[in-house]
Amino acid sequence: MTPPLDLSRRQFLAAASLAAGTALLAGCAPGAVPGSATQTLQFWHLLSGGDGVTMSSMLDKVNSAQSAFRIRPTVLAWGTPYYTKLAMAGAGGRAPDVAIMHATRTVGWAPGGLLDPWDLDRLAELGVDDSTFPTPIWEKGFVGENMYSVALDAHPFVLMFNTDVCDAAGVLDSDGRLQETNSPEEFLDQLRTVSGTASGHALSYGYLGDGAQMWRLFYGLYAQHGLAIELPVGGTAVIDKDAAVESLTFMQTLLDGEIAAAQNDYGSAIAEFATGKSGMLMTGVWELRTMQAAELPFDATMIPTLYGTPAVYADSHSFVLPHQTNADPARRDLTYRFVADMLKGSFDWAEAGHIPAYLPVTESPEYADLIPQAHYAEAAQHVVYDPTAWFTGSGSNFQGEFGAAVQGVLLSGDDPAAAIDRFEERVNTLLRQPNPADPEGTFGS
Amino acid sequence: MTAATDSTRTIVTGSKAIPRDRRPGSRNREQLVSWAFLAPFLIAFALFLVWPIIHGIILSFTDQSLTGAGGAFVGFANYAEALSDPKMWQSMGNTVWFTLLSTVPLVLIALVMAALVDRGLPGQWLWRLSFFMPYLLASTVISQIWVWIFNPQVGAANNILKALGLEPIAWLQNPDTNMLSIVIATVWWTVGFNFLLYLAAMQNIPPQQYEAASLDGAGPWRQFWSITLPQLGPATVLILILQILASLKLFDQAYQMLGGVASDTTRSIVQYIYEAGFVSYRFGYSAAISYVFFALIVIIGVAQALIMRGKKEQQL
Amino acid sequence: MMSSATLTRTETITTAKARGPRRSHVPGQKPFGPLRVVAFIVLALMAIGWLLPFLWAVATAFKTETDAASGDPGWIGASGPTIEAFTAILSQGNVYTWALNSLLTSVAITLITLTISALAAYAFSRLDFTGRKWLFVVIIASIVVPPQVLIIPLFYEMLAFNLVDTYWGLILPQVVAPAMVFILKRFFDAIPIELEDAARVDGAGRLRIFWSIVLPLSRPILASVAIFVFIGAWNNFLWPFLVINDTTLMTLPVGLQTVISAYGVQYAQVMAQAVLAALPLIVIFIIFQKQIVKGVATSGFGGQ
Repeated sequence: MTPPLDLSRRQFLAAASLAAGTALLAGCAPGAVPGSATQTLQFWHLLSGGDGVTMSSMLDKVNSAQSAFRIRPTVLAWGTPYYTKLAMAGAGGRAPDVAIMHATRTVGWAPGGLLDPWDLDRLAELGVDDSTFPTPIWEKGFVGENMYSVALDAHPFVLMFNTDVCDAAGVLDSDGRLQETNSPEEFLDQLRTVSGTASGHALSYGYLGDGAQMWRLFYGLYAQHGLAIELPVGGTAVIDKDAAVESLTFMQTLLDGEIAAAQNDYGSAIAEFATGKSGMLMTGVWELRTMQAAELPFDATMIPTLYGTPAVYADSHSFVLPHQTNADPARRDLTYRFVADMLKGSFDWAEAGHIPAYLPVTESPEYADLIPQAHYAEAAQHVVYDPTAWFTGSGSNFQGEFGAAVQGVLLSGDDPAAAIDRFEERVNTLLRQPNPADPEGTFGS
Repeated sequence: MTAATDSTRTIVTGSKAIPRDRRPGSRNREQLVSWAFLAPFLIAFALFLVWPIIHGIILSFTDQSLTGAGGAFVGFANYAEALSDPKMWQSMGNTVWFTLLSTVPLVLIALVMAALVDRGLPGQWLWRLSFFMPYLLASTVISQIWVWIFNPQVGAANNILKALGLEPIAWLQNPDTNMLSIVIATVWWTVGFNFLLYLAAMQNIPPQQYEAASLDGAGPWRQFWSITLPQLGPATVLILILQILASLKLFDQAYQMLGGVASDTTRSIVQYIYEAGFVSYRFGYSAAISYVFFALIVIIGVAQALIMRGKKEQQL
Repeated sequence: MMSSATLTRTETITTAKARGPRRSHVPGQKPFGPLRVVAFIVLALMAIGWLLPFLWAVATAFKTETDAASGDPGWIGASGPTIEAFTAILSQGNVYTWALNSLLTSVAITLITLTISALAAYAFSRLDFTGRKWLFVVIIASIVVPPQVLIIPLFYEMLAFNLVDTYWGLILPQVVAPAMVFILKRFFDAIPIELEDAARVDGAGRLRIFWSIVLPLSRPILASVAIFVFIGAWNNFLWPFLVINDTTLMTLPVGLQTVISAYGVQYAQVMAQAVLAALPLIVIFIIFQKQIVKGVATSGFGGQ
């Protein structure tokens, strides 16, 4: 054996200084800022990309407009990880003061006590009440008797189109809007015409590995049949198989490699459209900024009504109050002010492509001048949310389950009917389970 | 002299003989002292290992929710559900598949690396750094580097494919290739560990054997097959066992490379345990799945112990 | 007398040390024989291949955002090398906080684990008490328990103790290391008992013996244990990910994974972050290379 001291002097000194430095730093471990006049409110959200830029500037505006509170935002990755982290923070009793949730997710959360209800009177004092919201959006904020979320916007799934490419293909009308198509065949013809002039495909649609994307298009098409999937508690899913198979088959037809690339993931589809290679893009309105930043000549419209009933798949970004074991009333009050300020300033949010939920903004003359937002503003009238259940909503298991069940149809040409059956089975399995946030149904609603 | 021999013997046989303290009252004192030494570890052990194991078993018989609701006794319902849950079996299958896919290259590549480095070629520190350094990086660093490499539009992997005139692949988005992508990243990450184990084993082979063989006219290839490889048996067994046990616990890189949303082809059993508990809020159910998984690990761990003991007896 | 006896004993204790690289097996063979050249080329190619992923990351970190997003495979971007990704990351302030959290918690975990494990190992090695054998068997058996199985009850426990989102909630579950107790006990067993007997006869208490005699002789193993516990704690993802939701308390790996830029995926910045996060461990490897390699090779450290 070598002499007892195996560490060379150099190593020992390095280790010792490391330990000493740590001990010093431990004295200055980050702690809470002592209470100052300006309260810092923790705000969690999941908006990034173009949305993130807009949200950041809105927050800056709110911060600089007053000095009673300062918002400290944290952005977490969109989807399941966000909701998991938020739930765990709530369970640990150390949740942020205010957070953004999709309106469709609140029904699964509220019963578990992870959210605190909004005080409607206090909101009304600040100018936020049912008269300032479209009815379906206002009502979506309720779970049972109480309101758990205040909507900032509705963000639908729409059709963007490259005006140059489509003009060259001759599919625009005299106002420069996309010619109306009223059936699947008409729309497919229009697309085939466009593929003649587009350097890439006629349509960009990213879906690979993305259950949410697949669901958004599918459910919009399904709802256009004038139907809605119902998920009765303790029952079985009500799905019109014919309409479902028809919608899914149509999606399969689109992805033939000619009209749209056979396998595009979300990022590739955005890139294809943003670089001007394709004529149209099926996407959420949140990508508006991306296209504007790319300086693309484009416009947007609702996805054509192919099956009779205008319907637009959408969700809402809403403000929620994560449960706090000891909510400080002063901070809560400031949170209400923050939300009211954000709603009143949501014109900026419209510039990011979303349709503000706050009517005083959408009914203003400035809003009517916003192009292309004004061209799809009517979508707010035809909004269709996820079927109500504890397991549905943006970034939920449900949309992932849908993707798992039907990706084979879109990617490898599997049988759509079998895929819908698979999906139904998975949904029924979920329906049989009690809301895990409240397994014994102790939530009175 | 006798004293020295005694102590040498003690060491060689590794006997655990404790010298008896003959002073009166010393037995009690020694008990007290023992417990004083043990207490810190035992308290932590009891609080953070033993109690959670027991509590986990209790939880698995309830419908406890993450949110604090639930908690009623449900008997074996969770276990019955777990064993008939297709997603549970699928996750188990993914994990086993991952283990198979990754273990083979992790052993073979490590062997080749060690064999080459053992030659004594110049630049030893460089080889060791290149092969082993990834092992020290955090799973997050690995995942982010490889997510970038596998990016379908701008990543290095597809750049290489394009340069070769091949079609780009949606590595992590396409369910046909996402598990393979995770395997590739994992092999890069962890092969260094096996490499060091093999290298140590090779360097323990007495050079006299090689010298004798070369005098008999055996070339390097022959020496490798006849002398080196056969003596790598124990090292290979150790590597295989460690590798398999580690692979079965797959979570970090599979979770992170898919951005937290598993595909049906990448969800490992540990990720399913995590999802059942923290995404679906079902603590009771998640605990049940954990113990099914635990049972599997114990079975493999016991098998390992038996194999190792068998080998030891063979050697003696 | 003492010294020669010590030498005899120490020789007997010698464990298989990883010897240095051997010369060519065949004495007299040309150092540049064809097979060796081929072997060298293959080795060099493999090493380059293994370094490439990290080099790609570094190259991307030094590009502008536009260059990084362009898909241009060159090592240097069209706009030339730049450190803007690094300055952007560092000016956000998050990385400092996370690195500090990692440092504090890893050092705490290392010190606590080392202390309690060494104390327990000494008890098992030198002291006699009721239930000694059984307790040891239980502790060894617990090595088999995968930590992943315990995440649910542990999280529940942290909730109950109000330790979620705290340093202690992060640290405490990670100090239990039965494998280290086993390794340390094995090492202590091999230290000759005579060294302690002499002190005991002089009336020294156990703790004093432990501190003044056993520990100094154990520096190499303590160093190895410390290094590996530190590395394990620094790189640990799952538990810190679960127990910490407050972004100011996150450790480096968790922070990198969870908090994204409000501007979406910025490739150069993500790579810059990854490179920065990798640096501490690379530095540790360079300083402690010998211990790390020896630790892995002889004791199978890091196998978990």
